[in-house]
Amino acid sequence: MANHRADEKRFLDERGSGGPLAPNGLNPATIMEKPVRERIIDCYFWKDQCFALNEADIVDRVVVHVKFIGGTYGDAQRPSPFLCLAFKLLQLGPSDDILREYLDFGGEKFKYLRALACFYIRLTRQAKNVYNLLEPYLEDRRKLKRKTRMGTALTFIDQFVDDLLTKERVCATTLWKMPKREILEDLEVLEPRISPLGDIEDLLESDVEEMDGKGRDKSPGSEFGEVTPEREPGEMDVDKGANEGQTMEAESEVASGKV
Amino acid sequence: MSSKKGAYESNASDTDFRKKFDRAEYAAKASVREAAEKEESKARYEAKLAGKKYYKPLTGDEILTSARASRLDVSANVGKMVLMPAGAATGKRGRGAGFYCKDCDLTFKDSVQWVEHENSMQHLRAIGQTGEVQRATASEVRERIERVWEALEEERQQDVKSLGERLKVRQVEEEQDREERRRKRKELAERKLAKTEEEARIKLEYGEDVRVEGEHDEDDMMASMGIVGFGSTRK
Ligand SMILES: [Zn+2]
Repeated sequence: MANHRADEKRFLDERGSGGPLAPNGLNPATIMEKPVRERIIDCYFWKDQCFALNEADIVDRVVVHVKFIGGTYGDAQRPSPFLCLAFKLLQLGPSDDILREYLDFGGEKFKYLRALACFYIRLTRQAKNVYNLLEPYLEDRRKLKRKTRMGTALTFIDQFVDDLLTKERVCATTLWKMPKREILEDLEVLEPRISPLGDIEDLLESDVEEMDGKGRDKSPGSEFGEVTPEREPGEMDVDKGANEGQTMEAESEVASGKV
Repeated sequence: MSSKKGAYESNASDTDFRKKFDRAEYAAKASVREAAEKEESKARYEAKLAGKKYYKPLTGDEILTSARASRLDVSANVGKMVLMPAGAATGKRGRGAGFYCKDCDLTFKDSVQWVEHENSMQHLRAIGQTGEVQRATASEVRERIERVWEALEEERQQDVKSLGERLKVRQVEEEQDREERRRKRKELAERKLAKTEEEARIKLEYGEDVRVEGEHDEDDMMASMGIVGFGSTRK
């Protein structure tokens, strides 16, 4: 496994051609716009705190220095530490395994680490993976501070992730045009999203049905049964037995409640 | 018997051989150095022709470069008035006013130039580094997350502990305050009591009638009717 270069020179030299491409086919060295790149490599935080980092050092730097999300801020349009570290990730090109550590294990503890990984994934991964990796955090209600040229504002991880999935420009970076979720669903690239709140169409439908006086013919939990992953044949009996017991209990509760 | 000898029983002139040896060694070293310098200047010249920057060839003993443990310490230069000659360029040879790199014996006029130097290939080679950084694996990333988290937890616990200690100290102080107030109140009450008792005693001594309400009503009535009792009313 090759080492990283401590500085960005070779990374930026490769911006013309020849350098490794991101999974979405873009050249990581040109994903951020030129003026932004120049501001980043000119700033003191980059020279001092982003030099010679590897994938693990990113964690320390986020925890110590990232106190808000943002692109460039203030009248001087200084690049935020968040943006500088995103640029460093573009140079390092961390694997999906590492990104999962940032998102999940690290992201539970450090919300700005999750935010940074989400941003980087949106810039470099294929649409299908962007949706699958980011959507779970539409349920993350933790607060984030956001700094712009105008000042500081409050936002949330779910809001930030929603911006990444729907907006064209986030944190001084133009996001590549990703196909809409519905199109990927039609192409069967993506499964329909199951929100913890339930699918909005289903909710509306069931309202209509109840108004029509029809009962629900689906047993509760059957929709979960459909997404249960395959099990090993050996374990199946035990698990199934336990599950059936729970389902039956749940059904009888519902039944007695309705009577 | 009393000839002067050194502790190792040898004459001072015995060290003569060293000079000879040193001379031979110096000569050998010098010729090696000259050859190396010749080679270096050739390599420099070739690099220049090719439009590249020259760096000393790696010896194989270099270590990988790694991230700074903290911010570069510029505090050593803070608060000093530094006057730089107009147009002072980067990297003034030797120690001077400004930011000094002891490894390269160079002085820089500001922290940006200094950090740029610390990151430069020239400096990294001088301190025996390759300018390459070891990649981290996913499990190393996880370990780092754990370590950073634990360090923060420890810090938080210490904060809580010191908060607890501060609260305890304040509790003791408040208890002492209360005790002091209680003592003062008691003292005041005692002084008041002593005062009233003293006043009562003085009144008695001066023969003033110390009346308790109702006690002398009968005498008063008799007095108002012109009858005066005999002596003290006290029985
Ligand atoms: Zn140096």
